Amino acid sequence: MLEINDLHVAVDGAEIIRGLTLSVPAGEVHAIMGPNGAGKSTLAYALAGREGYDVTGGAASLDGVDLLDLLPEQRAALGLFLSFQYPVEIPGVPALTFLRAALNAQRKARGEAEMSAPDFLKAARAAGERLRIPADMLKRALNVGFSGGEKKRFEALQMAVLEPRFAILDETDSGLDIDALRIVAESVNALRAPHRGMLVITHYQRLLDYIKPDRVHVLARGRIVASGGPELALELERDGYDKFAEAA
Amino acid sequence: MIDALPTRRDEAWKYSDLRAALREDALVLRPGRDIIERLAPGVERITVGPGETRTLVEIMDGAAFDARAVEIDIAAGGAVQRVIVQTGTAPVLSMARVALGEGAAFRQFIYAEGAKLARIETHVAVGGPQAHVGLDGAYLVGAGRHADLTSVIDMQAPHGQARQLIKGAARRGGRGVFQGKIHVARAAQKTDARQHHHALMLEEGAEIDAKPELEIYADDVACAHGNACGGLDAQALFYLRARGIPEAQARALLVEAFVAEALPDWLPGETRSAIETRIAAWLEAAP
Repeated sequence: MLEINDLHVAVDGAEIIRGLTLSVPAGEVHAIMGPNGAGKSTLAYALAGREGYDVTGGAASLDGVDLLDLLPEQRAALGLFLSFQYPVEIPGVPALTFLRAALNAQRKARGEAEMSAPDFLKAARAAGERLRIPADMLKRALNVGFSGGEKKRFEALQMAVLEPRFAILDETDSGLDIDALRIVAESVNALRAPHRGMLVITHYQRLLDYIKPDRVHVLARGRIVASGGPELALELERDGYDKFAEAA
Repeated sequence: MIDALPTRRDEAWKYSDLRAALREDALVLRPGRDIIERLAPGVERITVGPGETRTLVEIMDGAAFDARAVEIDIAAGGAVQRVIVQTGTAPVLSMARVALGEGAAFRQFIYAEGAKLARIETHVAVGGPQAHVGLDGAYLVGAGRHADLTSVIDMQAPHGQARQLIKGAARRGGRGVFQGKIHVARAAQKTDARQHHHALMLEEGAEIDAKPELEIYADDVACAHGNACGGLDAQALFYLRARGIPEAQARALLVEAFVAEALPDWLPGETRSAIETRIAAWLEAAP
């Protein structure tokens, strides 16, 4: 489903991702773990198409469609979703207004009919209840005055409403307390499906207790240096990243 | 961008008496719906009695030179709300002199799209204590358009309050000008004044000229001002695009949200929606 082959990404002329190869089949959840500065967020931004993250080599495709030539909004319409590590505050744009604009823009790009306001509100309300997001929060300006945990919950709500084909979760656990982590993980798990893939980026094993990955990859200095089953995450938690950093 | 120092003539312009240059004959006063009065080009003197409230709307949407001067005298406890909507292509020269008595209030909102030259100037003299002045505005200027919002608030009496929030955006070849002065006289103790001007330069070749001024002679006051010009927030733009909102729509959404913040709560419903419609139309128009 997501195929990354020998990817190189530079930021401000410095190569951060240095020949990364990764394949996530449909229906699977893969985790990427790695120390600070390994290139985890750079990989996420490069896949989503952020300006300033220059792909200098390699390929990345989703369901056979080359991602790297597409604009960020085209990647989103194709079904790629990035849950941001630091969701951006946007004053003056109500959270629900933004989400409806996003959903309908994606549907329009795919040649689908717009979702009516009542249907949209129903979907948003249902997702909000599952994530225990107070209704008045959705009327407030996007992420403005939201706590760290509320921002991450709202990312999960967006994912539930947009129903992406492939989701990248960039450090979704940061800023969440244990209860909120469980609630967000439940929402993510509810979206696991045979036709959907996910890439979970995290520092810590903790998140993987709640979102159980099929595969775990270790990213160090811009490359995948080890891959394995869920037991690899436990090994990392026990032994640290040092031996992998050396291998890189 | 300044390539020459202002000449004495430029400086004097701000204090010149526009009325002398204006035609005295084109005045039509048409009371509109409810309490809203619509002022036309020309010279007007308005006296607002104690405790009286008036709402004035001035629409500048014509293709002919629009010159007007208005003098508003607000007695103790009186209140005036003034709205200016400038969208026409004709040059505009507008000068207002407002005087406030004790406990009086003057609230103004200007929406300007600029013209070859559009200067909208407001001078407010706060002569009585505990008066309130609110001078808000928004400007959106495209290529070949110049919008100038100039104001002087002269706080002469104690316990007065002044609020000013101006937001603007300029495209390539457009120029937005903000000159705002708040003068706090020695007698105006306990003045509470805030002035903010924030502007977006949407493209290369956009121009914003800002001259915020606070001049304080009293020693027991709370005054703040802020002025910022920049481009659209790249992070916010990427966030919207990463959710599937195309770039042009994402930009429009951000600019609209930015500018709409300057629209005050007191705007009459009809006027507010008319201005919001104009803002949306401006954003939709091809750059």
